[in-house]
Amino acid sequence: MTELYTDGNDAAGLLAEFLAADPTTTRRRCQSCHAENPLAAHRAYRGAGVVLRCPACGDVAVVIGECEGELVVEWRGAYRARRAR
Amino acid sequence: MRDVVVESPRARTLVLDVPHWPGHRAGQHVDVRLTAEDGYQAQRSYSIASAPELDTLELTVELVADGEVSQYLVEELRAGDQLELRGPIGGHFTWAVTDGGPLLLLAGGSGLVPLMSMLRHRAARDSDVPARLLASVRGPEDGLYGAELEALEPRAGLQVAWTYTRTPPPGWDGWARRVDAQMLAELGPGPEARPLIFVCGATSFVEQVATLLVDAGHDPGAIHAERFGPTGG
Repeated sequence: MTELYTDGNDAAGLLAEFLAADPTTTRRRCQSCHAENPLAAHRAYRGAGVVLRCPACGDVAVVIGECEGELVVEWRGAYRARRAR
Repeated sequence: MRDVVVESPRARTLVLDVPHWPGHRAGQHVDVRLTAEDGYQAQRSYSIASAPELDTLELTVELVADGEVSQYLVEELRAGDQLELRGPIGGHFTWAVTDGGPLLLLAGGSGLVPLMSMLRHRAARDSDVPARLLASVRGPEDGLYGAELEALEPRAGLQVAWTYTRTPPPGWDGWARRVDAQMLAELGPGPEARPLIFVCGATSFVEQVATLLVDAGHDPGAIHAERFGPTGG
């Protein structure tokens, strides 16, 4: 089953389109198990869209879908992003 | 596309001139989008193989069984053809000489591509950051950049090792098995050296190696991983 997923790096292009910044170094604290990991370390499951899951407990972290020409992103957990300015 | 370089029976390096390319960091990737005449689109991610210092962008693409995009890129794309790219993408799986080391690079198959960008960047900057690379491949025909790595290796601080998991070359007396704990211990550097670690390859390879590294005492936060899925794109 480990073959069925990639990781957050795989969703980076899609999320960068949305955020206009690289999302992979953003750290997420899981709402379920409280593990903190960069988005790059999350498991990415591709289907009709992309679902990122916590690498520690598997709970849903980010759901990315396309609906009627719009990119729709749902975020779960607590996020901390840093960017040089 | 400016040129194609044959890297192995199944892999080609696409040498691209990209107008307005903003520059990249070693380890980043691009999304390549193909659009058929009927409007059908397919998109895959490919790692950048070239150093940021080079004025062309190089992607090494390995042919994947039933891979509609890789098949087109490896077998049909010709010099002069145009490609649609998005990137550079990624900030987590990147390394620059200013990040220091020591570096521990672990590649499964074409997972070597982004790590090669790091080693080319290291060479372009004349860096002496200690670096060790272990490339795990099925057989010698799957090994990428062999001659170039051999030429780079005598430089201060770089060690390159190969393991062949299926068919070692004739007369090979090195490693001929999947990466295991003993191999990582012999390869070094150990956890006490606090290396920056980059692991790239198929998902099963990355999970296996990352688990071995954590079990050996390496800091999970120092392990940067990039998973290609079952076989890559």
